[in-house]
Parts: sequence; C-alpha cells; structure tokens
Amino acid sequence: MKVIPDVRKLGKRKLIWAGIALVAAVFLGTLPFFYDVHSGQWGYVLFMVFIYATVSQAWNLIGGYTGQISLGQNAFFGLGAFTMALLWVYDVTKTGYWFDPVLIILGGVTPVILAILVGLPLLSRLRGDYFSFGTLGVGMILSVLFLNGGGFTGGGEGKLLIKYVPDDLVINLRTHYWAAFGVAVLTTLIVYFMTTSRLGLALKAIREDEVSAASHGVNVLKYKIIAFAVSAALTGVAGAIYTYYLLHPMPMNVFSQNWLFLPIMMTVLGGTGTIIGPWIGAFVLYLIAYYADTLPGFEGWYPVVLGVIIILVMLFLPSGIAGLGEKIPHRLTRGFVGRRSK
Amino acid sequence: MGSFAQVFINGILLGSMYGIAAAGLSLIFGTMRIIFIAQGTMIVFFAYVVYWCFQKAGIDPYLSLFIAVPLAFAVGLGMFYLVFRKAAALEDKNVSLLIAVGLMYLVENLMLKVWSANPRGLKLDIQGVVIAGWGLRISVVRLILLGIALVSALVVSLFLKRTRLGTAVRAASEDMEATTLQGINSVWVCAVSFAIGIALAGAAGVGMATVYSFDYKFGFTFALKALVALALGGIGNVFGALAGGLILGVIEQLASYYIGMNWIEAVSYGVFLLVLAFLPQGLFGKRGLIKKV
Repeated sequence: MKVIPDVRKLGKRKLIWAGIALVAAVFLGTLPFFYDVHSGQWGYVLFMVFIYATVSQAWNLIGGYTGQISLGQNAFFGLGAFTMALLWVYDVTKTGYWFDPVLIILGGVTPVILAILVGLPLLSRLRGDYFSFGTLGVGMILSVLFLNGGGFTGGGEGKLLIKYVPDDLVINLRTHYWAAFGVAVLTTLIVYFMTTSRLGLALKAIREDEVSAASHGVNVLKYKIIAFAVSAALTGVAGAIYTYYLLHPMPMNVFSQNWLFLPIMMTVLGGTGTIIGPWIGAFVLYLIAYYADTLPGFEGWYPVVLGVIIILVMLFLPSGIAGLGEKIPHRLTRGFVGRRSK
Repeated sequence: MGSFAQVFINGILLGSMYGIAAAGLSLIFGTMRIIFIAQGTMIVFFAYVVYWCFQKAGIDPYLSLFIAVPLAFAVGLGMFYLVFRKAAALEDKNVSLLIAVGLMYLVENLMLKVWSANPRGLKLDIQGVVIAGWGLRISVVRLILLGIALVSALVVSLFLKRTRLGTAVRAASEDMEATTLQGINSVWVCAVSFAIGIALAGAAGVGMATVYSFDYKFGFTFALKALVALALGGIGNVFGALAGGLILGVIEQLASYYIGMNWIEAVSYGVFLLVLAFLPQGLFGKRGLIKKV
C-alpha cells in the first residue's frame, strides 16, 4: 500500500486540484503573518470554519464514504472537549501546557473507545438505520452523564478553565487559528489517504452494497468500526481544540445538537463522499450562519434557511456543490476517490 | 405497594404519548422504510397549533382534535408529495433520512422564531381534576390522553384491517415490489400511510398541549423516546408500538422513582441501546421483517 501517489501517474486535472489545494493551504496557513487574526473578525470566523470543517470531514468519512449515517457526532465532540478539560483541571498527565498536545491527543482517544463500544453492537447489524438511531441516543446519554457528574464534571455549569491557564500567557487567537487549521488539514489528509487506499475501496464497497461487499471477502464490521473510530477520534480532537477557545465547556454547549446537525448539513451541501465537500460546506454554511444574524430583521432566521437548503440540496443536488462541478464536464472526470493503489 | 402501583400507573399514562408517536413511526416505516426522525417535532408543532387555537380563538383543546388531526393529515399529504415522493422511491434510504433531519431542523427553528423559546402550556380547569381511590391518584387529563392513544391505535388498526386501502398498506409493508405488480398505486399507499403517521402526530399534539408544557426543543427528545418505544415494541404492528410506548413510560417512571429524575434519559437510551443490540426485533415485532429489509 503506497501512501504518496506517483506524481507522473496523476492526471492533469488532479495536479490542478492539488495545486489549488496547496495554494489555499499556504494562503490560510500564512494568513496570521499579514492579517491580525486576534482582533480582526476573520480570525474567529476562519477558526470556526476550520473546526466545522474538521467535524464535517470526520462525519464525511463515516456518513459519506462508508454510508453509515452517524447521528452521534456531538457525543464525540463533547467527549473530546471534556476529556481535555478534565485531564487539564485534575492535572492527570502533569503537562498542562497551553494547547498541550498530550491532552489534545487524549481528547481523541476517549471517543475512539466510545465509538468501539457503541459501534460493535450497532454496526454488526445489517440495518443502517439501527446504527443511525443507536448513535442518536449516545449524545443524550453522555450529556446526561456529564450533567449528573456532580463536582467531578461540574454538572450543568461545566468547568471554568480560565483559572488553569498559565499566568504568563497572553492569549492570542493566532494559536487557536493555527491549531484548528492544522487539525483540519490533518483530518483532510487522513480522510484522503484512508479513502484512496484499499481501505477506502472497502468502505465504498460497503456503502454501495454491504451484502455484496461481505460476499467478496470484505470484513464489513471491521472496516465500519475503523471508519467510525477514526471519525470519532478526529471529532474529539476538534472538540478539544474548540475547548481551548471556549475555556468553559458545559454539557449544554459541547454536546449541543449543532455539533451534530451543522456538520451533516455542511457535508451534504458541499458534497458527501468528496474530499472538498466538507470544506465548501463549512465555508458556505458558517458564513451564512455568521453573517445572516447581522442582517437587520433577519436575526435568528438562518437555521430555517439552512433547513430549507438541506432539503433542496437532497432533492435536487444529492451530490452537493462539489458534484455540480463534476456534472458539467461529466466525461472528463472520474472523481478522485476510490482510486486503487497498486 | 401503593406507591409502586402509583408509579406503574403514572408510567402507563406517560407512555401513552410515546405510544401514539411510535405508532405513527411504525406506520411510516412500514411502507417507506424510513424512520421519520421529525415525528417528535411535528407533535410539538401540532401542540402549538392546539395552543394557538385555544389562545386566539378560544377553541377547547379537545375539540381542536377535530382540527389538528385533519390538518395534520393534510400537512402529511402535502409534505409527502412535496418532499418525500422522490426520495421514498430511492433504494438509498439515507436521502430520506437526511431530508427528515433537515425538516426537523427547519420546523424546530421555525417554531423557535414564531413562538419563541419560552415553554408553553395550556391552563385548563380540568387539569386539576384527579380521580382518587385505593390510595391512588389519577389525573383526568392524562387518562383522557391514554384514551386518545387507545382510540387512535384502534382506528388505525381497523383502517389497516377492514378497508381496501388499509389492506394495500399492509401488503406494501410486506413487499413493496409485489404490491406494485398487483396494480396497487404504491405512491398513493406511501402517501396515505405517511399522512396517517402525521395525523397521529396531530392527535399526540393535542395530548401534549393538554398535559405537558412544551417548548420548541422538546420534539427532538420526544422523537428519541418514540424511537425507543418503537424499538421496544417492535416494528410491524400498531398495538406493538403502543405497547412499547407504555412499557417505556413504566420504565421511565420506575427509573425516576428509584434512581432519580435526572437519570431518566440515560436509563431510557440505555434500554434502547440494549434492545437494539440484543433484541432487534423488539418484544412484539415479527422476526422476519427485520431480516428482510
């Protein structure tokens, strides 16, 4: 299994795409050098876009590529957030740096454990909707557990992290920006390489026809669990990063339904099962959500619009915005997912 | 013992709401093979309609049953033809599922905009009336709600058993392809069963408006409860779903009495996960149905 694709074998179109992605990545990555992300509003907006892009991309892996509609992403997001926060508060790892990599990684580990625990009974069924609705309850159970955790989890009030921030630290959104950007890019790369490898072929086979995949020797349960666990881990890491911004994780906000529904809508709008889709969706929907509220007389209406958008997209454009570009030069393209590596 | 019986009865009364919602889900699932996640949100929507009928026009909530249920039926038909007709015919059920998610998000936020986030509830004289005896106390509005649930289940099951269209719906839930081959209009069958499912949401909305105080977010929790009830009762028959709802109500009341109010949600979803994992056909469901789809 080769990880780095051979440049000479790539088509012209793929090179163009890679070039565009590289330019965009360099632009976004170096933005803090020539733009003050701390006081300018674009810093915050892009930070949130990166967080949403990460969570959307993670959902895309399980929902888009594997075809298992997970409705439990908010559980992983919140669990990642609380794992990070509680480990920090109780100083379990004795590290306690600002943006401590150990805590952020551990914030991705606990969701994996949860995903395996939940995934084993639910994903072993043939029926996809059992998985959907089983996972739907997980977010609820977890938020109830954290609400009733008493002093240990802080109950409904959560934990105030601001007092654990190192004294000599000047908080600059630049750190958040880069951390979120790094995680979003890393997530995209992980999903890209997972889905273009043999593993991705297995996942796509499962999405298209589970029974047929199983009869061709694909270990369906194993691959579904892997996709679900990776998705959970990435979502948890996003939750941990977001908590460094929030500094006050409460069950109400980190287990919020928004962390479940918005990423799904973003992926669907951008294009499920495409690598660029979650990014497009995160940009478009977050900008709508952010700026629609500033329009006079329109405050609070944007979720209604988002609901209409997702229904319209599902009805008329099931492959999303990313699919739009592929519809026009239909003959020229074959999509860049599911390529078998030799 | 007195308190146990009381808790048990409270559970049955609470569960009747879950039962109606689950019966609607079961009906929609039967023909369209999707679990309509927006059901709870629709119930809350019709609860608001009943609330408005009472506040704006002074219509008695129980009389508005005759407004809410036909309205819900019409809304269901409209919704099916506008949104679900194409998706219902697709093999890929994820499309319908995601449309339902979008619909739930849309209706939920519409209610937030129109009726604000404050919890609403009707204040009726009848709510204070309690039947007491043998050391038990039963609230009359809740008893009426149980009555509504039983009557709706009975009506739906009579429709399914005694009418031609009902027979077609049952045939469609056994095997959609064979039904179409018999010359039955499968789109119309799907539309009717979807509309009846939403009509049941209308009936449940009346119950919710008269008994509980509700807000726009309540629907999501409620849809989950209906799902748990459906999983417990087993997909496939209306009374099974109703029984699942009653059982869930009893479980929740017992949990709240013996463990604590705050743990209700965790207990009911715990039950849900256990049922999905170990008893996927539910208590009263047909075993074959799960294997087939």
